[in-house]
Amino acid sequence: MASNISSGSVPHLPGMEVTELSKNTYEVYIGPAHPGSGHMRIIVEVDGDVMVRVDPDIGFVHRTMEKLAEGRDWIKNIPLFERMAILDACNITLPYVEAVERLLGTEPPDRARYLRTLLCEINRIASHLYGMGIFGVFLGHSTLYMWAFGDREVFIDLAEQMTGARLTHSYPVFGGVRRDIPDDFPENARKATKYMRNRLNEYAKIFLNNPNIRSRLENVGIMSKNLATELGIVGPNLRASGVRYDVRLNEPYEAYGDVEFEIPVFEEGDSLARAWARVEEIRQSLNIIEQAVDWLEKHPRENFMHEKFWKTAPKLYKDVFSGQIDYAGKYRVKLMPLFASLKVPPGKAFARVEAGRGEMVYYVESDGEDVPYRVRVVSPSFRNVIAFKYLMPGHRLMDLPAIYGSFDYFPPEWDR
Amino acid sequence: MPAKVALKRNPKKNPLGRVFSGNIGALAVGLKYFFDPNRITLLYPHEYIKLRQGYRGYIILIQEKCISCSSCARICPARAMKMLSVKVFDKRLKKEMVKKFPVINYNRCIFCGYCVDVCPTEALYHVPYHDLVYMNMQDMILSLEDFQKEPEDVTAKEGLPIKYIFDEKKGLVKVKYEEEKKEVVQPQQSQQQKENPQSKQVDKGGVS
Ligand code: SF4
Ligand code: SF4
Repeated sequence: MASNISSGSVPHLPGMEVTELSKNTYEVYIGPAHPGSGHMRIIVEVDGDVMVRVDPDIGFVHRTMEKLAEGRDWIKNIPLFERMAILDACNITLPYVEAVERLLGTEPPDRARYLRTLLCEINRIASHLYGMGIFGVFLGHSTLYMWAFGDREVFIDLAEQMTGARLTHSYPVFGGVRRDIPDDFPENARKATKYMRNRLNEYAKIFLNNPNIRSRLENVGIMSKNLATELGIVGPNLRASGVRYDVRLNEPYEAYGDVEFEIPVFEEGDSLARAWARVEEIRQSLNIIEQAVDWLEKHPRENFMHEKFWKTAPKLYKDVFSGQIDYAGKYRVKLMPLFASLKVPPGKAFARVEAGRGEMVYYVESDGEDVPYRVRVVSPSFRNVIAFKYLMPGHRLMDLPAIYGSFDYFPPEWDR
Repeated sequence: MPAKVALKRNPKKNPLGRVFSGNIGALAVGLKYFFDPNRITLLYPHEYIKLRQGYRGYIILIQEKCISCSSCARICPARAMKMLSVKVFDKRLKKEMVKKFPVINYNRCIFCGYCVDVCPTEALYHVPYHDLVYMNMQDMILSLEDFQKEPEDVTAKEGLPIKYIFDEKKGLVKVKYEEEKKEVVQPQQSQQQKENPQSKQVDKGGVS
């Protein structure tokens, strides 16, 4: 909090921006440790209770992901980029893997494409549920918080059965995936989707149609179609403003071209529409999971790695996969020692996917070495955060959590 | 046509008004769960989750199988695994020689499992538990001897094994882990000292 200052007496440090506050306004710092989310900082200028200037402090928790990536072998960057949003791990790393695959000239086989799609959708649901839980606790609705986090556990458990880790799956690798689904997975996945479908109706009852919540969200933080496109907003937030854009629709990747699903688009553009957009997306993700599981069950367990790999693989690799070695887990795809010293041919590649929070873009440049020359990451939260600056002024301070939460905004991803 | 756009609107307010449509609905759902809650909270450490094989937990080395190829140390993204030169007696060549074996630093390990997956002889494997306590940071840098032992699963000694099963109505349901399956684990613990992987396989095979 700062009172009126005269700009003449303020010492000017390099990199420091000095703004003069008008009379009767206060500066409030939201963060760095917000009870509801990760570390972030939003500088808000309030006049009484009304926000007049909102300044998201981009770079506050910067972690030099892009620079770190330039000093690491290609495969080691997968666990690194995963840390941007561990609850959405597969979606976050997939475009990097796809971009490197383009440079290597390999295509993942069908089964790997479906397995990746499956994990992406499991991640998307888990990520949306996480976002809704945080949203709930922002609005003081701790029931939803508990529910969403409890239900997220269902999908994290599915992901754990599939990959062996709850959050940091490191699942896709160049040319394929690291594991196949266990035998009882399809049955479990079907139970989970059935459960979640019913559960979403209850979410609507207790949260979204609850008059207390509705009155806090309806007509709050309205983002028009024009503003959304101008600011370059992505993901469910964009679609809640009536823009028909989804990477899965415009540029289908992995198995998204083969499964049937809807892209929910809302017209209103307010916080309530953004919340509903997520609920509808979860419903569609459940459909995709069911289709992917059906497909995986019907097809034999082969082609989860590039075929060259499997043809030249020693017998031990096949034994591990089929569970002959009893201390090692079943359906594990061994990695070639080649992966450790992979050299990627020179070139530039670009890949994007629709992550839980929106479009995730990687631009990868290689100069033929065993480390990337440059990796540029554009994460969805980075593109969404600027909306705060334009949507929040004019609202009351207590609308800040309602808008912030409705954007499902994730700080570690913003400052990567 | 794979994906299609579906235009939606926020649901309209119910004509019955706020009280009936919203509050009553929310209260009804709340009441339902008040009388029939689904408790999934784990009373750790009195209960612990019996994780399935394939979980990426702590990593164990089988020294006899290791061919000192250093792949595991090369691929480790966190630089947790390092190669250590030790003098060993080579049985085949019948002489003492210096060989390199991996050791792990659990301060750094992120349990990505790359090392286990890359090992060409399957000399590394995961144990399906992850809740260990070390007294200080130094202990987390394992010696070659410690790296070959399965660490003691401390919670398993006193806690009740639990597993979560999927359910259509309740999502996850907490149930007790069945005993007969648990016996598979017992011989593993009793054989920590046995170094010969051959005997390990035979013993385990007999039980399962
Ligand atoms: S699990 Fe990953 S971080 Fe840990 S030692 Fe193996 S490769 Fe390194
Ligand atoms: S990858 Fe396996 S065989 Fe090679 S050094 Fe590591 S443990 Fe030994």
